[in-house]
Amino acid sequence: MQRYSAASRTAVRKHGKKTAAVAALSVLALTAAACGSGRTDEAGGSGDGGGETITVGTTDQVTSLDPAGSYDNGSFMVMNQTYPFLMNFAPGSSELEPDAAESCDFAEPTVYTCTLKDDLTFANGNPLTSESVKYSFDRIVAINDPNGPASLLTNLDSIATPDEKTVEFTLKAANDQTFPQILATPAGPIVDQTVFPADSILDDDAIVAGTPFAGPYSIASYAKNSLVSFTANGGYNGILGTPKTSSVNVKYYTSSDNLKLDVQNKAIDVAWRSLTPTDVESLGSVDGLTVHEGPGGESRYLVFNMNTMPGDTPEQKLAVRKAIASSVDRQALSDGVYKGTYTPLYSVVPTGLAGANTAFGDVYGTTPNRDEAAGFLSAAGIATPVQLNLQYNPDHYGSSSSEEYAAIKSQLDATGLFEVNLQSTEWSTYTKERVADAYPVYQLGWFPDYPDADNYLTPFFAPDNFLQSHFESPEITSLLDLERTTADENARMQIIGQIQTELATNYLPTLPLLEGKQIAVATDEISGVDETLDASFKFRFVTLAKS
Amino acid sequence: MRFLLIIPTAWILVTVVFFLMRVIGDPITAALGGRLPAEQIAQRKAEAGYDRPILTQYWEYLTGLLRGDFGRSATDNRAISDVLLVNGAATLELAFWALLVAFAVGIPLGFFAATHRDRFGDASLRIFAILAYAAPVFFVGMLLKLLFAVKLGWLPVAGRASTNVELALQNVSPKTNILIVDSFLYGDSGYTIDVLEHAVLPALALGLLTAGVFLRLVRVNLIQTLQAPFVDAARARGLSEGTVTRRHAFRNAMIPIVTVIGLQIAVLLGGAVLTETTFEWQGLGYELARYLQARDFVAVQGIVTFLAVVVAVVSFVTDAIVALIDPRVRF
Repeated sequence: MQRYSAASRTAVRKHGKKTAAVAALSVLALTAAACGSGRTDEAGGSGDGGGETITVGTTDQVTSLDPAGSYDNGSFMVMNQTYPFLMNFAPGSSELEPDAAESCDFAEPTVYTCTLKDDLTFANGNPLTSESVKYSFDRIVAINDPNGPASLLTNLDSIATPDEKTVEFTLKAANDQTFPQILATPAGPIVDQTVFPADSILDDDAIVAGTPFAGPYSIASYAKNSLVSFTANGGYNGILGTPKTSSVNVKYYTSSDNLKLDVQNKAIDVAWRSLTPTDVESLGSVDGLTVHEGPGGESRYLVFNMNTMPGDTPEQKLAVRKAIASSVDRQALSDGVYKGTYTPLYSVVPTGLAGANTAFGDVYGTTPNRDEAAGFLSAAGIATPVQLNLQYNPDHYGSSSSEEYAAIKSQLDATGLFEVNLQSTEWSTYTKERVADAYPVYQLGWFPDYPDADNYLTPFFAPDNFLQSHFESPEITSLLDLERTTADENARMQIIGQIQTELATNYLPTLPLLEGKQIAVATDEISGVDETLDASFKFRFVTLAKS
Repeated sequence: MRFLLIIPTAWILVTVVFFLMRVIGDPITAALGGRLPAEQIAQRKAEAGYDRPILTQYWEYLTGLLRGDFGRSATDNRAISDVLLVNGAATLELAFWALLVAFAVGIPLGFFAATHRDRFGDASLRIFAILAYAAPVFFVGMLLKLLFAVKLGWLPVAGRASTNVELALQNVSPKTNILIVDSFLYGDSGYTIDVLEHAVLPALALGLLTAGVFLRLVRVNLIQTLQAPFVDAARARGLSEGTVTRRHAFRNAMIPIVTVIGLQIAVLLGGAVLTETTFEWQGLGYELARYLQARDFVAVQGIVTFLAVVVAVVSFVTDAIVALIDPRVRF
């Protein structure tokens, strides 16, 4: 028989009573909550605090609010609302215009000069001068953070500030037509030199506390990658215009499923990146929601390693590339895998950009042509089926990559000309192995730094390009040099067109497959979404309004 | 003496986590490998001190921990101590709600099953218990979400509070980061209800996992206790069966539950990773999953170390409580 002291019996009795009380309270609370009792409008699922507040949901995470420490979509979206840029794109336009600058132009072939507008200030009251601009660019280069955009400033030699309003960028290479575009990229935000240290990344909370903002919005409250609240900055008078909504919240998600369900339930007003194609298709049929589409800048393509791809000679390798180009069915990928959220891409430059053409469609057709593919292979003396090791990554370009590459394998196998061995590798290993000649043919994707055709050419096909696929052509290199330094716009566009045609006809170092549309899903009460989904690829809150 | 044992336990846990993390490489290469040339990786490793002898790094990590310095995350430059404080509060809140669900569901149902042994109700509850702890927590979470948030629209899909409530509670003072407490401090009952609404589904998903264990344990213990000689003696004294069951057998049967609660904390923390991810509940599990995906091993190491120490401390507290309520237990 168990024996208890009086004290222990009391303890057990008290413990039991407390447990019962807590359990009863919790059941009551949870039951009341489950029944929705006491739910108020202000605390309900509307997602706004009344008035015209808009809540935007996204899966793009913020790396850092410090422009020197981030170079990603999530951070850049916040910067586009809060920091001033010398040059920028007005909503609905892909035309680069002065923003914080009054004017910008090449004073000399290697000197790009900007003059600031009068009386610019940050939200904290500090003046925004030419010294602020110099400080902003200099610290990005000096800090050279691995997550930062210093790589965009490789052509920047030095910056001078002859007076408070004038900034002179001295460039290493003359007449760089892409440099003005770089002023609107993640390398371009102007920061307050009294808030940001010169040689280190500033913590996000310290940035918010310092209010060094001079864009159309300031940050009112900040919970990193959770919830950020923006309020209109009355001091902004740039080309983005006056915000139509005084208060915008951004809610961050890690799961696109929850993002989809929240916009479906109208718990948020706008879902911006990255809904899956199936989600977009499903949301398109929900009452009270509209799917907004804008031109796509994101491209998906195959990369050929010139050394390790199938084929014994350069001619045979070229024939294999041409045969693949004739065999893939981009429209089937677009319809079957991406439900139209990605569309066929027939050039290395996406269609929304000035100078883009459809060179691959012109040369190899827009539908698969097995006979032509067989002709390329037989003319080069290649025995079929060609064994092809095709690599893709399942965790970096969205969950549909597996389906996309299964479809490509199926298309190539169906020709009888190829036997595809499909393999996948997770991203951190993938990025190392692809530049170590481990993959003969592999998947990559590209989101532009700025909306100019050169951003789809020079990084890919100039010597020492980031692909590291052993492609180099003196002809292409020379055309690229010419394109970058030709000031006459029409002449430059012609050169850009020539490069695309040459690449499609004679080289095929990469095979463009698809371009992604910009997609936002919003409730019908929200206007101004289409205005911001332009070819600048900048999502701006200034155009959004709630009726 | 038992309390002092926490120190070597925590030290062993910290040491194991540290060296396991180093087995798979240094944090810089893990986070930035493939994004930077090898020479820049080497330079950054040198700057961060990861090229020094492993024992030197280990000593610095240990002394840093003693100062409360867990380092900063490599991917988003956030102080790990801040992650532990802010997101840890969210996990604590979720664990609390989940334990309430586990108690509220597991104990009464276990009592009912034991007192209706081998009848239909008992058989049904045994099946329910097995399903509750065998079903993957994210699967249960998705089912609950589908039913109560999507189909019926009764409850929110995800998050810890509605956007406006979360914003308002960011400004409450003093801020605990435990939203139910913050909402009380804010003094708006609508906000409290909103926070509770958001907690229901995550708490159910995670709580049912433990409720199944509690249910089976209470049932078995109560059945065994009802056959004990002291219960027969109580019956012989003429007490009613209900009084015997509730006052004598049930209280004794509950003692092992306290021990299991301690063990279940570890299970809850493991389940929290999946629950928090499923419901965008921004706790430590949510952040752990995010940092793992980004291969940010500085952050992963800090969070895992913290969780390991929490489990060690909870284990001690559980032992202490058991010793307090059961005089036969001595450590």
